[in-house]
Formats: sequence, C-alpha cells, structure tokens
Amino acid sequence: MTESSPISLIQGVEDQQIEDPRNGPIAMSLSDVAVSFNGRTAVRDINFLVPKNKVTALIGPSGSGKTTLLRSLNRLHDLTKGAKVTGKILLGDTDVYNGGIPTTVLRSRIGMVFQRPNPFPTMSLYDNVVSGLRFNGVKKKSILDAACEESLKAAALWDEIKDRLKAHGSTLSGGQQQRLCIARALAVEPEVLLMDEPTSALDPISTHAIEELMGELKDRVTIVIVTHNMQQAARVSDLTAFLLMGEDRAGEQIEVAPTLKLFSEPDDQRTLDYIQGRFG
Amino acid sequence: MTETMEKDSAQIRAEVREHLRERADKTVRRRMATSTVMSGVCWAAIVVAAVPLVALLFELFHLGWSSISSWSFYSTYSQQPSGNNLSAGGAMGQIIGSVALVVYAVIISVPIGVTMGVFLAESQARAANWLRIVAQTMVSAPSVLMGLFIFKLILLQFGWQPSALAGSLALSILMLPVIAIATEIAVRSVNPSLREAGLALGARPSTTSLRIVLPAALSGIVTGSILAVSRAVGETAPILFVIGGISSGFGWKPFDQVNALPVLIYLNVKQGSYPSQISQAWGMALLLVIVVFVLSLFARIWANRNQKEQR
Ligand SMILES: Nc1ncnc2c1ncn2[C@@H]1O[C@H](COP(=O)(O)OP(=O)(O)OP(=O)(O)O)[C@@H](O)[C@H]1O
Ligand SMILES: [Mg+2]
Repeated sequence: MTESSPISLIQGVEDQQIEDPRNGPIAMSLSDVAVSFNGRTAVRDINFLVPKNKVTALIGPSGSGKTTLLRSLNRLHDLTKGAKVTGKILLGDTDVYNGGIPTTVLRSRIGMVFQRPNPFPTMSLYDNVVSGLRFNGVKKKSILDAACEESLKAAALWDEIKDRLKAHGSTLSGGQQQRLCIARALAVEPEVLLMDEPTSALDPISTHAIEELMGELKDRVTIVIVTHNMQQAARVSDLTAFLLMGEDRAGEQIEVAPTLKLFSEPDDQRTLDYIQGRFG
Repeated sequence: MTETMEKDSAQIRAEVREHLRERADKTVRRRMATSTVMSGVCWAAIVVAAVPLVALLFELFHLGWSSISSWSFYSTYSQQPSGNNLSAGGAMGQIIGSVALVVYAVIISVPIGVTMGVFLAESQARAANWLRIVAQTMVSAPSVLMGLFIFKLILLQFGWQPSALAGSLALSILMLPVIAIATEIAVRSVNPSLREAGLALGARPSTTSLRIVLPAALSGIVTGSILAVSRAVGETAPILFVIGGISSGFGWKPFDQVNALPVLIYLNVKQGSYPSQISQAWGMALLLVIVVFVLSLFARIWANRNQKEQR
C-alpha cells in the first residue's frame, strides 16, 4: 500500500519550504458552513479559504460530505426540498447566500463540471458550448462563435472537433464529452470552476488529459475539485481539504493544508491514516 | 493426520460435485419441460386473443373495403337515401369534420397537457399530487362524461350553439390527462444531471425546463400526444350532443356545426334502414381503424427512432 501511497509521490519534500497558497489572493472563503437535509446534518463546521488561481482538492471517504459541500458553493441545493445551508460563503466580497446576488448571476460566476459527462443530448457540439451564454441572453453570433472556439481551445478539444461542430455530443468519447462539458462551463467565463470527481467515469488516458488541462486552466479560473483518488489530489492540487465523517455521522473538516504538507507531514493522525490507506 | 483429512476433503468434494451434477441435470430437464408447457400455454393464449381480433378485422375489411376503395367515398357528401336514390353518398363532410375536431382538440389540449405534465413532474407542491390523482381518474373516466359536461356547461349554461369548438373541447378533456401523464413520465425520465448542468450555467429554472428538459423529453411527449389523438378520433360519445351535425355540405370552422365519422356510424346503424347506409358505416369504421393503426405505428416508430438517437 505504501508503494502506491501518495506520500511516495511527494517524497523528499520534507525539508523544502512549503509555500501556503492561502497567503496569496483568495477566491472564496467558507466560515462555519454546514449543510443539512431534512434536519439531518450531512456536513458541518467547514472553515477554509480557497486560494485564487489555484486548485483546491476536497478528499475524504465516501459519505463524508464532499459533494454536498461542493454543491453548496454554487447554491445547487436551493432546489432540493429540505436542504438547508448555514454559515457564510464569500465569493470575492460577495456573500453567496445573503448578498442579494441572483443565483443565475452567481452560477455564471461559479461553473460546475459533473461526475458523469452530461452534454445536452438534443444540442449540437457548438450549441452545447455556447448554451450558457445563450441562457444568459447573449445572442450576437460573432461573440458566440469566438467564445465557442476560445473555450474549446482552452479545454484542449478544438482540434479534435472543429470540423464537426454541428454533430451531437453523443458522438464523442467519454473523455471528449467531459472536456466538452469543461468548455461549456468555461464559455461563461466563471471565476471558479467546481469539479465533482470529473475523471471517475473516465479511462486513464482521458483522466491524464483532464489532469493536465487543470494545470493549464489555473491561469484563468480557480478550481475546486472533489476526488476519491489521492494520487490525483496530490498531482493536481495546491491546497487539500480532508473531510471525515464524525461520530454524529456528519462530515467534518479534519485538516486543510497545502497539498505537499498534507500528504507528507499531516498534523492530524486521522489524515495520516487516511492517506496511508488505513481506512476509508 | 493431514493426509487422511485431505483425502476426506477430496472425497467430500467429489461427492458434492457428483451431487451437483445430478441436480443440475434434473434442473435442466425440469426447466425444459416447464418451458415446453409454458410456451404451449402462451401460444394458446395468443390464439385465443388473436382469433376474435383477426376475425373482426377480416369482417371489417370484407364489409368496409368496397366503400373506402371508391373515390366517391372521399369526394361526395353523405345523403339520406330515398325511394328513387338508394345511395347513402360518401363521407367527405364527416372526414373534414373529424379532422377539424381533432386539429382544434390538439391545439387546445397539447399546450395545456404538456404544461400540466411538466408541472406534475417538477412541482413539489401538494397540489401536484392531487392533480395527478385527478388526471389518472380522468384517463379512465367514461368518455360520455366529457360530452355531458360540455353539453351542460357550454351549451345549456353559456348558451352556445353546437359547434366544432364545443366538440373539440370535449375531446380535449379526454386527451388532456393522457398527454399530461405521458409528459410527466417523459420529463421524469430525463437525466436529472442535465437540469443541474443547465442551472449550474446560470440558466433560470424555467429556461432549463424549456430549453433542456422539454427537448430531451420531446419524443415521449409526441408519442403520448399521438396516442391521445388516436383515442379521440374514434370517440362518439363525447361529441354526439355537442357538434350539431349538418345534413348537406360540410362545416369546418370553429363555430360551424360539423359532422364526424363516428357519429354518422352511430346514426346509420341506429336509424338507417337502407343497406347503403350500413355499408357506408362499415366503410367509415374501417377508415377509422386504419387511421388509428397508422397513428400508433407512427408513434411507435417515432419513439424507437428517438430512443436510438439519444443513446
Ligand atoms: N439530497 C440529499 N438528501 C438527503 N441526504 C443527502 C442528499 N445528498 C446527500 N445526502 C447525504 O449527505 C451525506 C454526504 O453525502 P455526499 O454525497 O456529500 O458524500 P461524498 O463525500 O460526496 O461521498 P462520495 O465520495 O461517495 O461521493 C450522505 O450521508 C448522504 O446521504
Ligand atoms: Mg460525491
């Protein structure tokens, strides 16, 4: 197990000075965030900063509330009956829940990529990419065309599909579909991109392509990624938050630290147990 | 010690294998016997079900074909046979009337039914549950009820004249729950992650429903609507008292009185005393069956095609 443990990926960094990405600009901040469904708390006591233009990974065993937490950031729980989010989430200076910002505006500033690629089945590739712009009222063809090309290039998909933009999404491979979904999310120029296990339905090569892509996208967008794969977290992220189910069966935050530190010398014994594969 | 143990264990395993093989043989033999019996039962059931159906269709073609294979059936109006002219005429007025009734009914019921179905699928309000129960009850309510309702409300209460529109309203009430339920099922079967993807792009919930969910549910909605039409087109009871009916020529405009195929079938069989009227009735019945068959076929082909496309 230690062989494949993420620690081995980051060996020899102990003596290095590990820089904390939270010392730079901050994209989002979470304080005392908790989410409950029908009165049952799913995740609670979340406090951390999401550094700007970095990748923040949420890791933790199944049921520790990673997805639940991620979806609270773009208010995707709003339509779930019985779901309640408390605490304070800031996007820049804007209070996500109490700042009076319309959810439509908020969600165009915080994009999302889902676990399973979900291109709109009735739309062409082109229409898929520009759908977010159209939903938000953009009609001008020159802008749509330019945004389509630009975001497909950013998602490293342009060369593969530029000749068949009229085709349907289902004609792409799973990995291409996921990159299409990334392009679709990027087209509305979000500040933050949320990704919920974006590679868990993909083969290793597509996974690698998307991991590389994340590194390239950091310049334009802040990424928060949920992943089950600790190697992936170690490879792609700058900051890692480790969640674990507490005694009340609600997920809580155990440790948030620069990725190098969390995977090499975590402060909490439970973090160490988890990254060494001792539970979860 | 271990050697004897091993021997024993080997023996036990051999016995188990032997036993298993015997059981398996028996099971296979029993299954094959059951399967033979069951397929016999199935075939018998198919024959029992198919014989009356085939006989009915055969009779229908036998008696109706001569009417509908003649062009005058479509190009002349029906008439009352009399002493020196025994012909009952064609059914042009009835065909036009039935088409008009169905077209108006579609225009009325599809938008309302689809809206209702989307509401049923997406609303978490308690009203949705009640509406669903009402819709499910209405699907199986006797169709004469719709006719009585429109007769009482629109003709007696509001004082309208009998008209195509009154008939279409009655048919709409018949079609509405069918379309609403089909829409609800189609909308519910759309992958919820598509809706979330729309919302996550900043689309309003209504935009998401209209531009993502409804298009993805379209094939189910169209199939349901076609089935509703094929049910409505052959109905007599809901329109019998509300469309009036004219003896010569034809009506088609919303406030015209109109004729309809099923109504003339009913009248011919009930009151007609001339053989030409009976044969005209068989012709109209055959035409209706063919139309319904084609519509169902179309609904099925449409559903299959879209299923493949969406995979
Ligand atoms: N819509 C919901 N209604 C009720 N409970 C929910 C809902 N969504 C999530 N939960 C509960 O919240 C808890 C955390 O679930 P969540 O999906 O966030 O875990 P996760 O860390 O993403 O797990 P996984 O790694 O398996 O994806 C679970 O106990 C789950 O049952
Ligand atoms: Mg999850």
